[in-house]
Amino acid sequence: MTNLDKLITGFSTALGIEPSRVTDDLSYNAIAEWDSTAHMILIAQLEGDFQLMLDTDDIIDMSSFSQAKTILAKYEVDFS
Amino acid sequence: MTELHRSLRGYQVFLDSVTEQELELIRQWRNDPAVSQFMLSQQLIDKEQQQAWFKKISNDSSQQHFMIRYKDQNIGVANIKACYQGETLLNSRAIEPGLYIADERYRSNILAFAPTLLLNDYCFDVLGTACLKACVKADNQAALHYNSKLGYQIEKQADLVEIVLYKDDYQRQSQGLKALLSRPSLKNQ
Repeated sequence: MTNLDKLITGFSTALGIEPSRVTDDLSYNAIAEWDSTAHMILIAQLEGDFQLMLDTDDIIDMSSFSQAKTILAKYEVDFS
Repeated sequence: MTELHRSLRGYQVFLDSVTEQELELIRQWRNDPAVSQFMLSQQLIDKEQQQAWFKKISNDSSQQHFMIRYKDQNIGVANIKACYQGETLLNSRAIEPGLYIADERYRSNILAFAPTLLLNDYCFDVLGTACLKACVKADNQAALHYNSKLGYQIEKQADLVEIVLYKDDYQRQSQGLKALLSRPSLKNQ
C-alpha cells in the first residue's frame, strides 16, 4: 500500500466516508462528516497510521485533503 | 478580588481588548455581508455610530469586546455581555458570548474554536458565571452545529434559537478540542 493509499484510507475511516469521496477538493466543514469531532479523530488516525505527532499549527492548517498531503510531506511522508 | 482581564491567551490565539485604533477595521468587517448576514441587524454602520459604540462600551462593566489575534494577525472579534440588566460581568448569572471570524482563511477551520474556548474558560473559571446563553438564527446551521459541539443545548426552538451552555457540559464536551489546540509547538522547542 502506498502512502497515498494509506492517507485516503485514513481519511475514509476517520470521516466515515467512501474512499471515492476522498479527493483533493475535500475540505473541513465542506461536508457534514468532516466537523470538529471528525477532525480530532482524523488527526489521531493519521498520527497512528504514519507514526508521527503533528504540530498544532499543522493541525490547524490541515483543512483539506490536499493540505494534508503537503503537511505530511514535511514529516517526510513520501507521496511521489 | 476578581477583575476583568483585558487580555486572554491560550489555544494558539490572543484576545486583547478592542482599541480605538481598531475601530475602522472592525467597522469594515462588521459591514461585510459575509459577516453581517448572520447578525440580527444588517444595517450598515457609519463611522460616527462606530465611535459612539466604542465610547459606550469603554465604560460599561456589563460587556467586553476583544480583538482575536492569531500569528500576530487580527482575524476577528469576540465579545461577552451580561445577560440580565443591572448585572456586571463580575456578578452575572448568565453571560452571552459572541464572535465572528473575519479572516476567511480561518472561518471554516478548527482554529475558529480557539477564541471560543478561551472566552468560555474566562467566563466560567474567572468570572464565575453559571451559564452561557446565546441566540442563533435558525437558518444559521453552521453556528448551531458549532455550538452543539461545545455542549450547548437548545432551550427554545424558534426563528431565533435560544441555546444554553452549563459548565459541566462544556468541560466534558470541550476536552478533545482543548487538547488538540493546546499542544506545545514543536517548532519552538
